[in-house]
Amino acid sequence: MRNGKKFIAATAAAATLVGMAACGNDANNAEANLGDADKAELVFWGWDSGNTMKDLIADFEEANPGITVKFNNTGTAADTSTALSNAIEAGNGAPDVVMLEDPTVTQFAVTGGLVSLKEFGAADLKDDYAAGPWNKLQYNGEPYALPIDSGPEMFFYNKAVFDKAGVDAESIETWDDYYEAAKKIRVTGSYITNMAGTENDYQPFTAQAWQAGAQPWKVDGENITINMHDEGMTKYVEFVQKLIDEDLVDTKTPNWSDDWNRELNDGTLASLTIGAWMPINLMNGAPDQAGNWRVRTLPQWNAGDEVSAEDGGSALAVVSQSKQQAAAYKFIEYLTHGDGADTMAATGTFPSLKRILSSDSFTDPDAEANKEVNEFFGGQNVNEVLAAAAQLPVTEFQYLPYNPFAQSSYGDQISKAYTGEITLEEAMANYAQALGDHGTQQGYTVTVE
Amino acid sequence: MSTTTAMSLKEQEKAAKKAEKERAKRVAADEKAERKRSAKNGFSNPANPTRSIALTLVCSIMAIYCLFPFLYLLINATKTQADFTSTFGLGFGKTFALWDNIVTVFTYQDGIFGRWFINTILYVVVGAGGATLLSIMGGYALAKFRFPGRKACFAIIIGAISVPGIALAVPQFLLFAKLNLTNTPAAMIIPSLVSTFGLYLMWIFSDQAVPDELLEAARVDGAGEWRTFWQISLPLLAPGIVTTALFTIVATWNNYFLPLIMLKDQDWYPLTIGLNQWKDQASTAGGQAIQNLVITGSLITIVPLVIAFLMLQKYWQSGLAAGAVKE
Amino acid sequence: MTAQVQATTASRIPVNKHKRDWRGWKFMGPFAVVFVFVFIIPIVYAIYISFFKRQMIGGTKFVGVENYARLLTDTNFWQAVGRVAIFTCFQVPIMLFLSAAMALALDSMKLHGTKFFRIATFLPYAVPAVVSTMVWGFVYGAKYGLVGSLNDLLGTNIDVLEPNVLLASIANINTWEFTGYNMLIFYSALSTIPHSLYEAASIDGATEWDIVKKIKLPELKGSLAITVIFSIIGSFQLFNEPSVLQNMVPGNAITTYYTPNMYAYNLSFTGNQSNYAAALAIVMAIITMTIAYIVQLKSMKEQMK
Repeated sequence: MRNGKKFIAATAAAATLVGMAACGNDANNAEANLGDADKAELVFWGWDSGNTMKDLIADFEEANPGITVKFNNTGTAADTSTALSNAIEAGNGAPDVVMLEDPTVTQFAVTGGLVSLKEFGAADLKDDYAAGPWNKLQYNGEPYALPIDSGPEMFFYNKAVFDKAGVDAESIETWDDYYEAAKKIRVTGSYITNMAGTENDYQPFTAQAWQAGAQPWKVDGENITINMHDEGMTKYVEFVQKLIDEDLVDTKTPNWSDDWNRELNDGTLASLTIGAWMPINLMNGAPDQAGNWRVRTLPQWNAGDEVSAEDGGSALAVVSQSKQQAAAYKFIEYLTHGDGADTMAATGTFPSLKRILSSDSFTDPDAEANKEVNEFFGGQNVNEVLAAAAQLPVTEFQYLPYNPFAQSSYGDQISKAYTGEITLEEAMANYAQALGDHGTQQGYTVTVE
Repeated sequence: MSTTTAMSLKEQEKAAKKAEKERAKRVAADEKAERKRSAKNGFSNPANPTRSIALTLVCSIMAIYCLFPFLYLLINATKTQADFTSTFGLGFGKTFALWDNIVTVFTYQDGIFGRWFINTILYVVVGAGGATLLSIMGGYALAKFRFPGRKACFAIIIGAISVPGIALAVPQFLLFAKLNLTNTPAAMIIPSLVSTFGLYLMWIFSDQAVPDELLEAARVDGAGEWRTFWQISLPLLAPGIVTTALFTIVATWNNYFLPLIMLKDQDWYPLTIGLNQWKDQASTAGGQAIQNLVITGSLITIVPLVIAFLMLQKYWQSGLAAGAVKE
Repeated sequence: MTAQVQATTASRIPVNKHKRDWRGWKFMGPFAVVFVFVFIIPIVYAIYISFFKRQMIGGTKFVGVENYARLLTDTNFWQAVGRVAIFTCFQVPIMLFLSAAMALALDSMKLHGTKFFRIATFLPYAVPAVVSTMVWGFVYGAKYGLVGSLNDLLGTNIDVLEPNVLLASIANINTWEFTGYNMLIFYSALSTIPHSLYEAASIDGATEWDIVKKIKLPELKGSLAITVIFSIIGSFQLFNEPSVLQNMVPGNAITTYYTPNMYAYNLSFTGNQSNYAAALAIVMAIITMTIAYIVQLKSMKEQMK
């Protein structure tokens, strides 16, 4: 045993590491973590799609002279939540404020990584926000984050392609009408849209199923019920299967790929059902179609209904590790509810505050921020359409507490239905099984129906 | 450590220098004679053989395979974002925007790219430089000393690098977090200091390029181990050092996974993480797509490595010298 | 030739043998310290946590070998292992053959523009995996990519991203990236051959081919052992290329458990199952080591003595 010494040293070091990891998660005194609400040096992790965070922070610091904010652009939503869970596991290094995609908030709330914002009075703000984004951020009836942007699902279409096929998109009321339109568009060589069943399709899927009134999973404390064939799901699955079988959707192009942008740009894809934050991405991705795109509300499952759904959206939360939680909340409140929210809305982020959605300046076609977008949409007053949709009623919908897994597993299981290997119904059954197994592994009591 | 007097040290140095000079002379003479002889008996001189067009053509196919993706990078670096999505990948865009792209790369987000560039250079100089030095010393030790635990080193190292690095990322992160090293350059530099591949290369090179008799002679002369290492062994290891240095430089320059986990402060990002962040911006809701900057940035990232390679490649010729001593 | 050198070296070793020679640690020490810090401690920690299970409900508890037992029956895992095994069987020999051939061609000095070819072959290695996969993703595109234009031109309908050829397409990216890397090792091994040896051979009437066979190839053997081992380890840890390609491939043919490493990553970072991922990593390490040992380790050990 010539290496005895080395081995012992390594073991000792590892044991120290293990020991330190074990005591990192001690619940600290809640009051001690509040800190001074007027004096703090905050660290903020998130992403910055519009390059506006710097100005926002400068404004905040000016209004709150005792507080400084250091913004770290942590990459994509997935990168940010990975980094946050690493820091939580390590017991140090987490920021004070974090930006998360709405569906991941619950996971961190369950595992104690975030603090409830109720004690800061956030629960009273409920009626100030649109219902869609607000509902997604609740856990055990308490808010764990405040929405910084939102994404009511919209129907974006290329009018030039629709005209060529002889379809008036404004006359599409139901998903059945949509199906008829898809057939006519397919004749011209284009597809009405793309669906590939990758994990990037997960949010559009939840939105559309949600709109159909589906409840594929229900969470009640430690009990989860998974049902992929309730009435709403059946409606959704049958409809999509019809589109796949008749080759009415492009099943080869995944969302967010370079090819996707190219197909949007050359008119191969005639429309998208996606969140209201899409205009900027469209302007970037499909420059040749400037003037041709339009936006309207979603087709309905039942004629005469007016049901909307949410796709995407992100929120700000206070991290449990923070020792400056009071100041952190102050910052969150500023960005999501206070003056910062107005600045964000003016630079292209889609708001969730009712006050802004219904304000004249937000929908003013002459406002500098709106001009460029409206021009790309052929002179349509885009924000007016989006703001109206954002205030439509939404059905109750829950995300699984292990949403990141649900999203990546969606790609593994559901894509097989789009390559024709199995039917969508079979794929959904496999998906239900995978979600159930995972839930059981995580200690939940799962019933797969 | 050593009790040799300053006097004898100086003498030794003198002797070593003299020996080195004589060796160089001998090598030059050898080479000259070699060239003469092979010219006389008609054998194609390995130092200056007849060139073959057929072989060149075969290798050209390989070169095209290796280089044409660069053509894609070059062409697309000249495009605007709009041209990137709307024109064919290997065709030029409507406008020639290479210079604009380069300028924008360095000015976008308050010129953060420049900061990333400097960070990367820091990581390469300290990290890859250190890794090369540690590999040289370690490889030399493994090849030239029979120390206790030597045999186990081999098994331990092969075992350790067989563990998927991704699964180690979390424990590594936790360890660094405990020591408050995450978000500092140390989080990037310390892991870069280990290059197992470099260690092997140096092990093999030391074994082959440093003759034992030379070391014995130096020891008999009373030279300390450090002096022998620096003055006698190091020059002989030149081609191996250059190869190892290139590998550690590239590995550090292109290191992606570890900094992604360790660094969450934009100001300490290396180029790879920064570029990837730019790339991901296109697939963020409401994000601005800047593929043109990603491609131009990638191209700029590669340039220093090409320069490093060009600067280092002349050292391969010194293999000739190493061989001469080995006879 | 190598054998000769070894024989002489070996005969000289016993000088120090009877006495414990700690001098080597002066040189080995710094590497060992960093290595223990960066590799050994995290590995020991990974082994430790592989016997635990962390749940969202119920917290962390000791479960013994449960994670390992689960792994044995995990079809996703074994499919992934099978996939990288096939990948290794084809990709590694092809790549190493190309590298060795290129190194020999460069070393023969019979090329017009040796320097150009040397840098051209090496250059792909300088490209970060993210960028090279992006570029090849464009080449492979059946609609807008180079394959697409080829299809238009020839009226064919080739799709190199189809599930059954996808692995070969990924292998091509890896070959492109690492041929220059291995070439460099072979090439620098060749550059340590004393030229006087060639000269001696030529006096004995040896042809160019004899020199390649009798002098150069045996010299490559030592580097071959390293490159084979490192290539096997590398392809068993396949991660970057398939995960970047994932979003470009139609039909999600690249699942989250396409390779063992991707599986470990997803378990750890999206699945909240880092304990299971640690067990997976340990098992993968054992598999990789076993294969490396069977294939090449023995000859490599001889090389190192």
